[in-house]
Amino acid sequence: MKRAPDSVPWNNSTRILCGGVWSLIAIVLAAQSGDARAAPAPQSKEELAKAWRDIATLPDLWQGTWQSVSPIADDFPTPPDYTPSAFEYVKRYKPVEDSPFANCKPLGLPFVMNIGGMPMKFFQSPGMIALYIESSGMTRFIHTDGRLHSERPNPTYLGESIGHWEGDTLVVDTTGFAPDTLFQMGKLDKKTLAQGDPSPLSGVIFGPHGPNLRLVERMRLADFKTLEVQTTIYDDTVFKRPYSLPSRRYIRGIERRNEPQEWACTDNRDYLDPTTGTLEYNVKDKAQSR
Amino acid sequence: MKLSDSNRKMKLTGLIVVFAAFCCSSIAYAHHSFALFDRSQLTTLSGTVREWKWANPHTWLTVVVRKADGTDEEWALVGSSPNMMIRWGWNAADIKVGDKVMVDIHPARDGKAIGELHTVFLPGGKVLADPGGQSGEALAGGPSDLPTKPQGIPYQ
Repeated sequence: MKRAPDSVPWNNSTRILCGGVWSLIAIVLAAQSGDARAAPAPQSKEELAKAWRDIATLPDLWQGTWQSVSPIADDFPTPPDYTPSAFEYVKRYKPVEDSPFANCKPLGLPFVMNIGGMPMKFFQSPGMIALYIESSGMTRFIHTDGRLHSERPNPTYLGESIGHWEGDTLVVDTTGFAPDTLFQMGKLDKKTLAQGDPSPLSGVIFGPHGPNLRLVERMRLADFKTLEVQTTIYDDTVFKRPYSLPSRRYIRGIERRNEPQEWACTDNRDYLDPTTGTLEYNVKDKAQSR
Repeated sequence: MKLSDSNRKMKLTGLIVVFAAFCCSSIAYAHHSFALFDRSQLTTLSGTVREWKWANPHTWLTVVVRKADGTDEEWALVGSSPNMMIRWGWNAADIKVGDKVMVDIHPARDGKAIGELHTVFLPGGKVLADPGGQSGEALAGGPSDLPTKPQGIPYQ
């Protein structure tokens, strides 16, 4: 039955308005509850256009790529206030004889940001910033849709990242880490190291982090060429108080040469037999000790 | 920045120690390379390419060198990963089996016929420098002041 226009209890604009309000409430509630099951509502063309216009005004992390110019190891200029168990661990720590990076295993946060050698690239779309880190071939997904952390995030190498802007600074809060993400908890005193050790990893103390490890990264442009990322580590199984690391620096490259590329760590395990000097390919068992 | 020996030595003494490559086993390689190869030394090889393996996590150049006594010796030379080399002007097709090349390498500390690629001088005059061991600034900036001729001690 066709209704006369005047019999419609809500006119179209009211309907759209109310529908919009309910959608908004649903989105906000879903975001606040961190409920991944809540079905997101498709955005209209206009809403999407506005969302793109809004993110277009954000500080420019997007042009080109970012190459690390900081040393691979974090510095701990102020001695951390360790918990008793972490203090014992550090006291007994012997620098690793072999590399902890064998087997192309994902490093995970926070150390994945430290590797360098290859650049990283930011992308964004409404509600999300993605950060491709070439040196591990992994992409971080940073939610910027206002959600809260999941109550029980499943452990992953890159964790669950939620970002928001404080002025010109992107603040990224991350939790939900796999127990075996590579974690630097300090640095040995230079005096204890072998003289002239050229390894960039000399003195690094790797150790276990707790289940509630949380990172807060503050990312901001110092100038067009320079990105600074300052990370604070929250882990009460390791540090009595959150530890603020010195900023790491990345420089921008906009040339084609600096565009992101594929990184496939595992496509050809090579192996140079240290005793014979013989070169072999795809020797997995031997490569595992590298 | 210059790719001179003194520059390399400065790096070794700890001015800048930024990683050359790398994820995972590459880093492991870098870790081991400090023990395997002497980055303060440059040796120049003249030889014929037997194999050029463009692969991750490392490229490998195999060169046959004819020694002064007339015998042939095979050298296995490890290079950076393809993505890093591409940024420094390399192309997989630059080197072909049978090419006569001169190569500056960091030799093994123990004298074995292995090395870490430093610079390759191709028959057509093209010069390619390996980005391994360079600073982040140099990696982003690309190679500069490439040598026109080998700078190492000739291997006999």
